[in-house]
Amino acid sequence: MNKLLTIREAADRLGYSIDTLRRWDKNGFFPAIRQTENSHRHYLVSATEEFSKSLDQLRIAKYWSGSKKGFEPLPCYFCSDSFVFQSRLLRLERDLTEKEKTSDFSSLLLAVIGEIGNNSFDHNLGNWPDVAGVFFSYNLDKREVILADRGQGILKTLRKVRPDINNDKEALRIAFTEIISGRLPEHRGNDLKFVKKVVTSSKMKLFFQTGAAKINLKNKPEFKVEQAQNPIVGCLAKIEF
Amino acid sequence: MKLNLKKFGTILTSRQLGKEALLAFQPNLREILDKENLEIDFKEVASLSPSWADEFLRPLFLKYKNRLILKNTDNLSVKETLSFLEKIGDFEFNKNS
Repeated sequence: MNKLLTIREAADRLGYSIDTLRRWDKNGFFPAIRQTENSHRHYLVSATEEFSKSLDQLRIAKYWSGSKKGFEPLPCYFCSDSFVFQSRLLRLERDLTEKEKTSDFSSLLLAVIGEIGNNSFDHNLGNWPDVAGVFFSYNLDKREVILADRGQGILKTLRKVRPDINNDKEALRIAFTEIISGRLPEHRGNDLKFVKKVVTSSKMKLFFQTGAAKINLKNKPEFKVEQAQNPIVGCLAKIEF
Repeated sequence: MKLNLKKFGTILTSRQLGKEALLAFQPNLREILDKENLEIDFKEVASLSPSWADEFLRPLFLKYKNRLILKNTDNLSVKETLSFLEKIGDFEFNKNS
C-alpha cells in the first residue's frame, strides 16, 4: 500500500521544515500531490523514499533521533525489530560482496554494524521510550552507513550496573573504553569496546552520539568525548569506510 | 561431535540469535560422550561479532574447556571476535585453523 503523507509527516521524515517543503514544491524540486489547487499538500511514501536518497542520511537520522516527539521513519530505513534488521544486514552483505573485492574488510564492517544495530535492540527490549526500532541506511557509493535509535541511551543503560555514572560524556567514555565484568548482571556492556578496537585498527571512521555526548573515531589511538550541540534521544552512528 | 556454524546463518552478530542458537543446539549436546571433543567449524561464516559469540561460544567453552575446538577461524571478524572474548574473559579458545 502506498500511503500518503501530510506535509508535516513528510517534513519530519526528511528532516526539514514545512516551509522548506513548501518551497521545494513551488520550485519543482520535490513536488507535492494536491487534489485541487487549494487543497493541502500530500506526498506518496514511495516518492518521499526515493527523494530522501538524494539527501544527507545523517541529517535525516539525526532529526529523527533528536525530535521531541517520536514517529516512525520512512519504511525503507526503519527496522521495527531485530529480525528486520538482520534481513537488511544480509542484504547489505550481498551488496558488499558484489561491490568489494575482498571479504575480510566486509566481515569486520558487518560485525561493527551488527554490534551497533543489535545493541539498540538488546539494550532497549521492553524499555523503548516511544518508537521501538532502528533507523538503518547504507550507501555503498558514498561508502557510509547510518544507524540510529530512540532508545534509553547509554547513560541510562550503563547506570543499571554503574549507578555512579554522572552524565552522557562519562557514560560514552566508559562504554567505549572500560571492560565491564561479565559477572555483573549486565553482560552486554562490552560490545562497543570491540567496535572501538576494530575501527581504530582499520580504515573505518565512526561518529557516535548518545544524548549530549559524541566521539569521532578513526585509525588513531586518541579518544576524546565531546559535548554535542544538539542532544538526541538514544544513539546515532555514522560509519564511513 | 562436529558442528558447521553456518547452519545458524552466515552473519552471526545478534545476541538474541546467539542465545536462540545455543538453545536450539542444546539437545545435540546430550549425545556428546565424556571425553569426546566438540568441533565447531567457522567455514563460510561471513561475519561474527562478540554479542553472538558471547551467547553461543562462551557457555560452550565454560562447559567443555579444551574439548571445544574451533576450526577454520581465518575470517578476520572471527579472529577479532575470538581474540576479544579471550581478552575480556581471560581465557583462551582451543583453535585448530
